[in-house]
Amino acid sequence: MPIQPVLRYPHPVLKKLCHRVEHIDNAIRNLVQDLIDTMHDGPGSVGVAASQIGVTLRVCVVDVSRNRHGKENNHGLLCMINPEIMSRSGSATMREGCMSVPDYTGDVDRATEIVLQFSEPDGTVREFTASGFEAVAIQHEMDHLDGVLFLDRVTSIKTGLFRRKNY
Amino acid sequence: MTPQPEILHYAVSVVGKDRPGIVAAISGGLFNLGCNIADSSCTMLAGEFAMILIVSLKRPFSKTRLVEELKPVCDDLGMTLGVRTLHPDEIARQETDSEICMISVYGADQPGIVYRVTKELAARAINITDLNTKLIGTEEEPVYVLMLEVALPEGESPEGVEQTLAALKKELQVEIGVRVITPVAF
Repeated sequence: MPIQPVLRYPHPVLKKLCHRVEHIDNAIRNLVQDLIDTMHDGPGSVGVAASQIGVTLRVCVVDVSRNRHGKENNHGLLCMINPEIMSRSGSATMREGCMSVPDYTGDVDRATEIVLQFSEPDGTVREFTASGFEAVAIQHEMDHLDGVLFLDRVTSIKTGLFRRKNY
Repeated sequence: MTPQPEILHYAVSVVGKDRPGIVAAISGGLFNLGCNIADSSCTMLAGEFAMILIVSLKRPFSKTRLVEELKPVCDDLGMTLGVRTLHPDEIARQETDSEICMISVYGADQPGIVYRVTKELAARAINITDLNTKLIGTEEEPVYVLMLEVALPEGESPEGVEQTLAALKKELQVEIGVRVITPVAF
């Protein structure tokens, strides 16, 4: 099952706390592949979390390398199992939207630099510092694993005008 | 003959001296009618509270019925009511392929800041999607702040807008900044 439909709020799964992955097996690797396929299918999408395709596990993918905000500063395709933010610093506001909450955007404050740790699909544990747009994208996707939507973090709203493509 | 839409839309505006309970009173009136508040923006300007709402409801309904319900509520609150029937093609959700920019203009208060800036934007077909102004500073040194959100037409760039406004910036002796705030979708 490659490309999966992206769930939209009020689907209850989007507000669920996702469980840690205990064993990285083929089912998890297939889930990662589904997430990658689904991300690549979404126009301009830079990340998808497992809960957005109905799976309540702490798995998400992020790839900002093809986005104009992230192409200069990124770690390529990140397939993150049980990601944890070890530390965060800085703060910047960005107007965010989400495939799971269409037609709505709002300003969200996020850390500009995060130290991140996660397991790769092959079980390797990776730790590195992400910054800028990549850090924002990771925080947005990781929020999904806690059942948190950007709506829960909005500091000011702006609705109505939503760019159709090439986000 | 074009078929009549099943859902009717109205633009409702309510303005008057601010006090607690205005939104509850107006939304209560709309609720009694079975109206949906489809889109709205309400804010306080100086001591005035201003509400603009797009409301929708199913046929059969009339503007007269809406006014009949809301007018007494507004009269009680000392608010002014305006109601306009929307044509079906006015209510489509606005979407844009444009870059969205925030333009901030601020400096010593003087007549014509809003006019001079928006005239330049209009001449370049730059559409204002949101605007607010505030008079700050002291009586001796009043400062005017103008914040605009604009959608750039195709071929226009934030740098281009900044260049367009450069002469005005010099002439009015104000600060003018343009930055991209196009939403990012995750």
